[in-house]
Amino acid sequence: MLHAAQIWLVAAIESHSPVATLMQTAWAWPIVESLHFVGLCLLVGAIGSFDLRLLGVARRVPIASMHRLIPWGIAGFALNVSTGLLFVLTEPDQYIYNVSFHLKLLFLAIAGVNASLFYATSYRQVFGTAPRLDAPRRAKTIALVSLCAWMIVIVCGRMITFYRPGPCVGERGVLLTCEPD
Amino acid sequence: MDPFLVWLESSALSEWVTGSPSMLAFPGILALHAIGMALAAGLAAVLDLRLLGVARGVPLVEFRRFQPVLWGGFWLNAVSGVLLLVGYPTKALTNPVFYLKLLLIAVAMVIYVRIDRLIRGGDATAPAAARTLRRLAITSLVCWGGAITAGRLLAYTYQRLRA
Repeated sequence: MLHAAQIWLVAAIESHSPVATLMQTAWAWPIVESLHFVGLCLLVGAIGSFDLRLLGVARRVPIASMHRLIPWGIAGFALNVSTGLLFVLTEPDQYIYNVSFHLKLLFLAIAGVNASLFYATSYRQVFGTAPRLDAPRRAKTIALVSLCAWMIVIVCGRMITFYRPGPCVGERGVLLTCEPD
Repeated sequence: MDPFLVWLESSALSEWVTGSPSMLAFPGILALHAIGMALAAGLAAVLDLRLLGVARGVPLVEFRRFQPVLWGGFWLNAVSGVLLLVGYPTKALTNPVFYLKLLLIAVAMVIYVRIDRLIRGGDATAPAAARTLRRLAITSLVCWGGAITAGRLLAYTYQRLRA
């Protein structure tokens, strides 16, 4: 069933991709890639330094002050979702059948759930009326998971090109990682 | 220069970088290069944003605590970058965009060191120093954006792959 969903998604995008023509012009792809890298730096710079603060780096800085950087990390994330979508909408099969892309999405989801856990569990201790300078233990764990997840997202993203799907032969896994005919 | 390039490309290290089927060879080095970029350019950009008025509640001197991470990213990329260069020396050294990338990184790092010196000097809040810092921050952001773009364009602008 997952295979059918993947095939349907690729077909749906291929039959009606509004951005493919634009992305196939000479410089569009490299420029969008560069923006994807700029967004990545913004995301890691802002979210990574906040995570490091939770873990105890620059511990004299109020956590709430450091949190002011987060909107810039979210801006980087938004830039990368937009530019990332442009790639997927142009060459859907190269991503939807790519095991490295599947792992990238998995760790993006982990990073997302992990970030929501931070606001759900540690908001009051960190931003409340009597904020702590030393983040609670749980927040530190979340920060460590966040750093690892984003690093893995970067590695998986960079690896996509080395796991381009070839034609399907033999056994197929839970998700298609090859081009069905 | 060609004899040198031929010699470098036939070295054992170059052949390992480009020819090894191991994911730790070329793909692994590229992945490390992306992580180093995120750490160096990312933390530099955050410091620049702070100088431009974001997160004013964070004292500038406290940003110095993140300095080892920035330098860690820089050296990670110096090493992984040299490995990539040993792998494909002709591809990089015959492309003007490669020299532009190096120049932009050099300017960005010199600016970073200047910013750090002004902050360490403790007079960063004086109006004149604040103005200088803002100008340096904008130049730094432009340089990092340019270096990242130039780096990505290396895959599209090279004229010769091997000697």
